[in-house]
Amino acid sequence: MNRHNRLGWRRKGFIFAFLAPTLIAFVIFYLYPIVTVFVTSFCKWDYTNINAPEFFGIKNMWDNYKYIFHTYPYFWEALKNSSLWALLGVAIQIPIATLIALAFSRKMKGVKLIRNIYIIPNMISTAAMGMIFLQLYSPLYGVVNPIIKLFNKDFKDSILLLEGPAFWAMTAAYIFFTGTTTLMILGNIMAVPEEVREAARLDGASGLKQDWYITIPMIKETLRMVCILAATGGFLLYNEVYFLTKGAAGTYSISYVIRELAITSPRTQFGRANTVAVVQILAGMLIIVIINMLFNLTWKRPTKGGKRS
Amino acid sequence: MRKNGQKVSKNRMKKDSKATRIVTVICLCWAAFVALVPLVWLLLSSFKKDPMARPGFMLPESIYLEGYISTFRDLHVMRYFGNSLLISFVSVVISIVMISMSAYVVARLDFKGKKLVNVMLYSTMFIPATALTYPVYNLVNKLHLYDTRGALILIYSCSGLAVSFFVIKNYYMNIPKEMEDAARIDGCGYVKTWQKVIFPMARPGIMTAGVLAFLNNWNEYYWASLVLIDREKLTVPALLSTFTTSFRTNYNGLFSAMVVIILPPVILYCVFSKFFVEALSGGAVKG
Repeated sequence: MNRHNRLGWRRKGFIFAFLAPTLIAFVIFYLYPIVTVFVTSFCKWDYTNINAPEFFGIKNMWDNYKYIFHTYPYFWEALKNSSLWALLGVAIQIPIATLIALAFSRKMKGVKLIRNIYIIPNMISTAAMGMIFLQLYSPLYGVVNPIIKLFNKDFKDSILLLEGPAFWAMTAAYIFFTGTTTLMILGNIMAVPEEVREAARLDGASGLKQDWYITIPMIKETLRMVCILAATGGFLLYNEVYFLTKGAAGTYSISYVIRELAITSPRTQFGRANTVAVVQILAGMLIIVIINMLFNLTWKRPTKGGKRS
Repeated sequence: MRKNGQKVSKNRMKKDSKATRIVTVICLCWAAFVALVPLVWLLLSSFKKDPMARPGFMLPESIYLEGYISTFRDLHVMRYFGNSLLISFVSVVISIVMISMSAYVVARLDFKGKKLVNVMLYSTMFIPATALTYPVYNLVNKLHLYDTRGALILIYSCSGLAVSFFVIKNYYMNIPKEMEDAARIDGCGYVKTWQKVIFPMARPGIMTAGVLAFLNNWNEYYWASLVLIDREKLTVPALLSTFTTSFRTNYNGLFSAMVVIILPPVILYCVFSKFFVEALSGGAVKG
């Protein structure tokens, strides 16, 4: 007890000193901006009063929200696109990443080489990948138009400017590059104890069946995490929009709207940008809650293992 | 009954393994296809004198290197790599040192408000950085850091706290408590115990977090394009967005410059792929 007291202040000092830098970073980069975002989403704040945001008053406090929901032309388009990208992240990226991780986990010739090749696109910035796909889609010298011409000889447009195809072209420009996700899943698959696989094999479950009944349930925590990352990643998409379409042909995303309102547009509207940001924060949280709920529901029932075979 | 069952399962195993092999091969082919097509096409196009005359996967008539020569002569790529390297490296060092200190305190010591610290850091995972665009932009301006490399270092050091924190904290949790007691008995204070015993032991976890953070910073485009204007200070991803205007119709030059921009990280990765793969998979996959 005496020793504890003697060490008390040193201990406290140590704890404080070691926590302080992170706490300061948190306050600078997260706490202060978030409070600003929430507060000023209820303020008139644009290029006319850059330094003095002005509260609308209790009666009109929802003015920015009303503007964004009812008047601003791109909000609903952006919300729809971003939500769809979040959904596609989970529905396309995770199954692909899991299948490829399972393939990588088997002993076969060339697996290591292909595994290393598969990670390469993830080492390149999404900005550069966006630029590459912009060229791939070019009607002048790209790869996609010659293929379309095989079926439709007169096709001369850029698919990035056609409403509808533009959305899917943009999605295809990033969604298949799941290298880091695959590695995270692979890491967890390799950590499944060999005895478990052995037991499953004796039970008659091998190959894909074993993966489905044994491996997948065992890596569910990693899957939950990568689902959340893929969904939020899709929801926050910005670089691809900027490099490929700049929002043309119905491809606005929420992040793109925020940046346009706050920085790029000639009549910047900080208050309204922050209103969209509030929506983005809340929707992001909702996505995470939904994914957690889905995971809890899926794995509530005890899985039957490989017994059914 | 039992025997029968075993027989059936054995038969099934053979069948399964064939189906499994086919699926595996399909997956591997897909993986190679997806990763290679865009890159091979880019490389191919960079050798074409006039990409418009030979679109798609048509082979170049002859190998034309003018684009590469002018890239190295006029673009000063090394400067941008220097900027990227400096900014990414400094911010990784700052954030990793900072977080490995705090993570240790949270992982090993009890104190009032520990739960709050955990919740705070956890919550940063759910806060989209793009939502904070204007406040951060404003802050950078107020600190007179706009259009300086310092602004990016500040942003990168403070963002992505959560991932590094949890990776490193998990590593600390796995270090046996006896190690600290031994150091304490040897007369080490708190700081020394951390510095001499714990930090070195958690190195694999710290490396993983560091590699992840470095890759994120190296490839980061959103903030880089927001706070840097001066061409001299741009990072590599931010430089890319100037290409569409600066190359206009010189497609050969555009393709060559893109290859040059992409190559260094790819080469680095190829040389150290073992290290990257191990770090990214949490040490479970040997390269």
